Amino acid sequence: MKIFICDGSPVCFFTAVFDAFAEKQCLITSDSEIQLSLDSEVIRVETDEAKALKVKRGIEKHDSEAIYDILTALRSGDSLKEQTVFEYIQRLMERKSSVKKAYNLPEVIEFNNILYKINGEVHRLKGLLRFMESASGAFYAPYSPDNDITELLMPHFAERFKAEKFVIHDLKRKIAGMYDGREWIIGYAGEAEIYLSEYEKAFETLWKKYYKSVTIKERPHEKQMKNSMPVRYWKYLPEKNNND
Amino acid sequence: MLSEENLEILTESAKYDVSCSSSGSKRKNSAGGLGNGAASGICHSFTPDGRCISLLKILMSNECVYDCEYCPNRTSANVRRARISPDEICELTVNFYKRNYIEGLFLSSAVFETPNKTMELLYETVLKLRKIYNFNGYIHLKGIPYADEALVMKAAKLVDRMSYNIELPSEKSLKMLAPQKTKQSLLLPMKNLKEAIDYEKFNNMRRNVLPAGQTTQMIIGASPESDGQILKLTEALYRNMNLRRVYYSSYIPVVQSNKLPAVGAGLLREHRLYQADWLIRFYGFDVNEICREDENLSEDYDPKCAWALRNMNLFPIEINRAPLEILLRVPGIGAKSAYKITEARKFAELDFDNLAKMRIVLKRAKHFITCKGKFYGADSYEKVKYALLLDGKWETREQISMFSTPSTALSALTGNI
Repeated sequence: MKIFICDGSPVCFFTAVFDAFAEKQCLITSDSEIQLSLDSEVIRVETDEAKALKVKRGIEKHDSEAIYDILTALRSGDSLKEQTVFEYIQRLMERKSSVKKAYNLPEVIEFNNILYKINGEVHRLKGLLRFMESASGAFYAPYSPDNDITELLMPHFAERFKAEKFVIHDLKRKIAGMYDGREWIIGYAGEAEIYLSEYEKAFETLWKKYYKSVTIKERPHEKQMKNSMPVRYWKYLPEKNNND
Repeated sequence: MLSEENLEILTESAKYDVSCSSSGSKRKNSAGGLGNGAASGICHSFTPDGRCISLLKILMSNECVYDCEYCPNRTSANVRRARISPDEICELTVNFYKRNYIEGLFLSSAVFETPNKTMELLYETVLKLRKIYNFNGYIHLKGIPYADEALVMKAAKLVDRMSYNIELPSEKSLKMLAPQKTKQSLLLPMKNLKEAIDYEKFNNMRRNVLPAGQTTQMIIGASPESDGQILKLTEALYRNMNLRRVYYSSYIPVVQSNKLPAVGAGLLREHRLYQADWLIRFYGFDVNEICREDENLSEDYDPKCAWALRNMNLFPIEINRAPLEILLRVPGIGAKSAYKITEARKFAELDFDNLAKMRIVLKRAKHFITCKGKFYGADSYEKVKYALLLDGKWETREQISMFSTPSTALSALTGNI
């Protein structure tokens, strides 16, 4: 079986789709640690803008909205995401029309599942992201999301905090979205050292107090809390870290 | 800056208000401003009781001139009292918001000095937030009964949602338990606000008044009204007042009073009322189909199951052909599932396997549907009834375990005016 390994960028993925399209059985992945079987033939995909464009045009011809979903799905943290998206594209090209709601096809259900997870995480983090005020007045929000969603969060916060400067820092992928009060960009960002403003501690303390006071202690329901706010997100939530 | 103690007192007094929703407003940010509305609402945290924190829910003061029997802040109660200034509230809101702790403010107050004085300070707070702090995030403001109408209208133009709690499901009970409030003092401002909203709507004007509408809340089980009466009232409030939500909070005795029952209403009743409320709002049910006026909802079956059991002659229905409004009436099939089915069957005839893969829960539904003519439900009415009963037991046990320690005491009370 042919295994197409791409570099993780959408362009490289679309190139791989072009190369793999005629194959009967193959796998597309950007996971370099993938388990290979004896009969596998590894192909390192060379990014080719022209091939990628042809694939994108082909998709758009049958479903003008699919490309947005596909680009979103490629942000998934799932190691099989490229294959899932590839199979979805195959069904779309076969049918020559939108398959978004063809819930009877397993490939469509799988594709919708990863989309659902990504969009769900975006919505969740619009709420759970926490900013702290730095000494310079800019706000800083560190996090490590399951999926690569910083770019999807930036428009929301740039609209909301129009007049503020802020940084959203994905520590897992070492990238950051930066907004200077006018426009935002995405860039590489390794470690960050932050000096907090003199008020930061006080507001954080008030927030923790609020969190404690608003809880109805007589009605414990930890399970529901954890379902809605999974423990892996707690690391960056002041109200869940009582170390002072 | 606000002291920790005042924050504690005024949060603890506010926390029993059920509503914390931040949905329904698409308010835009202004140039140089802070915040906007998110139509779907956003939860910012969850407390160990499983509830969501969306808004900073706080009272301006818990010093109350009223003496409602059921309220922990009533004038005769011996509790810590506090009052904070508009600026303190603005500062806290804006700073919580910038850190993305909250989606906005839910501001309420006990009635201190006079209704007008209280309303004036609430108005001053929201005015400052909007005009001085340039805050465009979500604001839910509680209305103060008997406050001057002009003042209420001015406030309504600044906030996203307002609510007057009708407190009890009948005028008689209100007279008995909250004698200083009257039906008129709660319904009249609600009606005025509705008319102000309609006026903008019908004249195609820019929408300023309450883009997220009005809600209300009532206590269940402190007074003798039946579920049927409560639901009739609910339906009337949705129809006549155009409310977005009616919230219920089940009564549990905490105040010793010969006017209040000694036992609580239980949370199952509250749960059933919410289920019925959803059927009315989203599933095309009429109150009369769910519950007769002098009756209570079934404890054993959720209202949709109970309805389906009374109407077995309509079932089973064929999944591949039944129209959406019929799919919505199948126990176990919710709005999302029904929609998914209508979309998916355009591509292919669906069988049970397809439904399962689409994550449609068939445990209850299977007794009421066929797929390509096949039926996998129980073969007699008695068996269906029993299967649903067992299934319901699980559901109720979950529900009850959520809340049921005896010291739930305080939790059933509405903590506001």
